[in-house]
Amino acid sequence: MPPTRIILDTDPGADDALAILLMLASPEITLEALTTVHGNVSIDKTTRNALAILEFLKADIPVARGCSRPLIKSPHNWGDAVHGASGLGQAKLPEPKTKPVELHAVDYLIQRFLAEPKELTLFAVGPLTNVALAIRKEPCFAEAVKELVIMGGAVRSGGNVTALAEFNIHEDPHAAHVVFNSGIPITLIPLDATYKCLLTPADIEWLLKINSPVPRFIRDVMADYMAFYSQYEGFAGCALHDPLTVAALVAPELLHVEKHYVDVDISGGVSIGKTYADFMKVMKKPANVKVALDVRGREFVELFIERMEGLSVEAG
Amino acid sequence: MTPKHIILDTDPGIDDSLAILLAAASPEIVLDGVVSVHGNVSTEQTTINALSVLELAKADHIPVYKGCELPLVKESLLSPETHGNQGLGYAQLPEPLNQPRAGHGSDHLIEQIMSRPGEVTLVCIGPLTNIALAIRQEPRIVENVREVFIMGGAIQHPGNTTAQAEYNTFVDPHAAHIVFHSGMPITLTPLDVTYQCIFTKDDLNRLLKIDSPVTKFIADSTRFYMEFHDEYQSIEGCVINDPMTLALTFMPEICDYQDLVVDVDISTGVGLGNTFADFYNYEKKPKNMRVAMGVRPRLFMDLFLERMEKLARKIS
Repeated sequence: MPPTRIILDTDPGADDALAILLMLASPEITLEALTTVHGNVSIDKTTRNALAILEFLKADIPVARGCSRPLIKSPHNWGDAVHGASGLGQAKLPEPKTKPVELHAVDYLIQRFLAEPKELTLFAVGPLTNVALAIRKEPCFAEAVKELVIMGGAVRSGGNVTALAEFNIHEDPHAAHVVFNSGIPITLIPLDATYKCLLTPADIEWLLKINSPVPRFIRDVMADYMAFYSQYEGFAGCALHDPLTVAALVAPELLHVEKHYVDVDISGGVSIGKTYADFMKVMKKPANVKVALDVRGREFVELFIERMEGLSVEAG
Repeated sequence: MTPKHIILDTDPGIDDSLAILLAAASPEIVLDGVVSVHGNVSTEQTTINALSVLELAKADHIPVYKGCELPLVKESLLSPETHGNQGLGYAQLPEPLNQPRAGHGSDHLIEQIMSRPGEVTLVCIGPLTNIALAIRQEPRIVENVREVFIMGGAIQHPGNTTAQAEYNTFVDPHAAHIVFHSGMPITLTPLDVTYQCIFTKDDLNRLLKIDSPVTKFIADSTRFYMEFHDEYQSIEGCVINDPMTLALTFMPEICDYQDLVVDVDISTGVGLGNTFADFYNYEKKPKNMRVAMGVRPRLFMDLFLERMEKLARKIS
């Protein structure tokens, strides 16, 4: 089978960086472009980071800069606690020499997907602002997307920014509402699955046995993230949220997926940004999302480590 | 005084069409372009109607750009019962000879505002989707637009679409929320003033003394509109919201204004789309717009009728 051609919409972000690494290390995937969005850090930083990561990995892939804030909500500001001041933890990548393309990410997405309808798969691992605007600006966009894999939501499990809501969806719930109801075939990777994929300090020690800049980057980029997890969530290690999206293409057998009607609460109360599935079909709406409710977590982490070993040897 | 350069964002629509005619008949302003949007009827149809009405007014040099087809977040809501299936009541204008220009309406707004900082005045008389999308894609238009005149909302007046909500803000409350809080210099024309300006059968008979395609169009379109106002609102005549908003760009003395803190309810309850002012402003928020709260109806009606007579005499 030829590799699946994908475009990644992302807000790097520590775990975003690992998702980019995993995509580039996976022969089943051709990563054709990145579009950046606000989220983990500002749009200036996510764009800078996207370019810097690609240069670090010597990957000549275009980057389009996208939206600087959510559609409606005020942007969340939780400082540098999770992803570090730069967004890449303690990693110090050189200032990128390359520049983003001229087109805004929204127009870049529209152009790429309409040029080859149903050929490209979209991955979205940040707030869904760019994707929602592309859907609303170009009514043919939704039907041109072959598949959309999203990291976001907490369906049965608790939220990580409010009791009920996960960060990406909560950061732009109105955009998520537009995307979920757009008709695009969606696979959703929520916290229910990602919190079962924990990369531990021992895993990182193992990778560091290879003398290569890649494991050192992984250690540095995840340093603040690991510290945050041990301080606030009480365990050593961190969840591979964004990288787990790759499993939808590379190792779907690891995921337990169900088809449901899924939407997000935008009614402005305590549950704003809550991603819910209509398990009992009380809303009588057709299923719109394949949602991963479980995963064989350790097997995915081992797949991730193997691929990082491959990438490290290549870069070493 | 040099004439104001205006771009009209509109969903014609009967009263929208009258605003286009008033713009074409008013030497105090230069209508640089028209951007269409969904609303009273589909964007396909509002685009055709904008072209047809400009051709009727012999103003077909003015470019028309097609804008958004759906509200930003909510589902679509059109109003054929108010404006007829084609959007122009009983009027049948010839198919337009011109086509809309290439490019998206919201991109046209961005290009025009950014290429002439401080010069472009926006007059928005439909749902605010195009302007909201433009603000999110190019935030710098906020500082570079000269002024924004908006027809929308019902502050102390009841709604005309729900008990509390006016049509334009109800159709796309999320877009209104974005525009209201953007920092653009806004003048709002809510139902509080527009419902005091009734275009009556006597006014129509005055215009019909001139035999012209313009007066015939006004008669055929407003006859439908008057039937709607009679049936649904027990008003003899019809409310012509949109031309009044346009008139304020060059004859501000038609209204009295208050600087207010204005917001729109997007919480999806019974108040969805309600545009409200915080008159007591306990939270001491900065005032975000100038709202027309008082009106001299005859001043506006005389202006409107004189300009329509002048246009009708020119086009017979």
